[in-house]
Amino acid sequence: MEELIRKRIKQIKKGDQDAFAEIVELFKDKIYQLVYRMIGNSHEAEDIAQEAFIRAYININSFDVNRKFSTWLYRIATNLTIDRIRKKKPDYYLDAEVAGTEGLTMYSQVAADIALPEEEVETMELQGEIQRQILKLPDKYRSVIVLKYIDELSLIEISEILEIPVGTVKTRIHRGREALRQQLRHV
Amino acid sequence: MNKCPEHIVQYMHEYLDGDLEKEREKELKAHLQNCKECYQQFHELEKAIALVQSTSHISAPNDFTQRVMNSLPKEKKTISWNR
Repeated sequence: MEELIRKRIKQIKKGDQDAFAEIVELFKDKIYQLVYRMIGNSHEAEDIAQEAFIRAYININSFDVNRKFSTWLYRIATNLTIDRIRKKKPDYYLDAEVAGTEGLTMYSQVAADIALPEEEVETMELQGEIQRQILKLPDKYRSVIVLKYIDELSLIEISEILEIPVGTVKTRIHRGREALRQQLRHV
Repeated sequence: MNKCPEHIVQYMHEYLDGDLEKEREKELKAHLQNCKECYQQFHELEKAIALVQSTSHISAPNDFTQRVMNSLPKEKKTISWNR
């Protein structure tokens, strides 16, 4: 897999755009999911995830093929998302609420369209609630929690993506986990 | 809660990160068996993790790749056409 990616990156560096389409296909779900869980809004998530790929393409010549491409791509996406979250800060809680409601609306529509059994609707409401609680976390805890538990990355990879020491990643995960424990204990 | 050693919570997190030493793990387990509050806290941590992990499946929209490709700088496209 890493070998294939390296080959495609070399092609992209030579100007082969089709090779980039393959890279987007490989990583789009992971990147979109990461951004969506951090931002909580599907339109914004799509916008940011696309921007991340476009920036990766534009800056591909600054990427060292001997390094792990996914780490570099995750870093671009995480930085863009954190920037966006920080710009939104004044109406942070309002946004979180809107995002949650939107999720629920989306789920309710799905439910109405194909008449899901009640327990599946409950599962979707639970999903909306968990998403809202993730969005309540301060961004520095939110990013590590999403990278670890949703994108399932190792502590070392997270430390490379965020460019912070592993010890700091651990501290943030501990605090994020503790906050989530309190927020989710009665769910 | 006050009677519990402070490092127990730290051990819980280290255990959840998969880097608690064997000796300390024994100490943590022994403590959890005897302390209802800490057992409860540990259980809630595991539950929070399980809930977050249960949300993990979403995919990018179907036209995602096409949209990205359409937004790439034009000049590079020309290079690719001329190949």
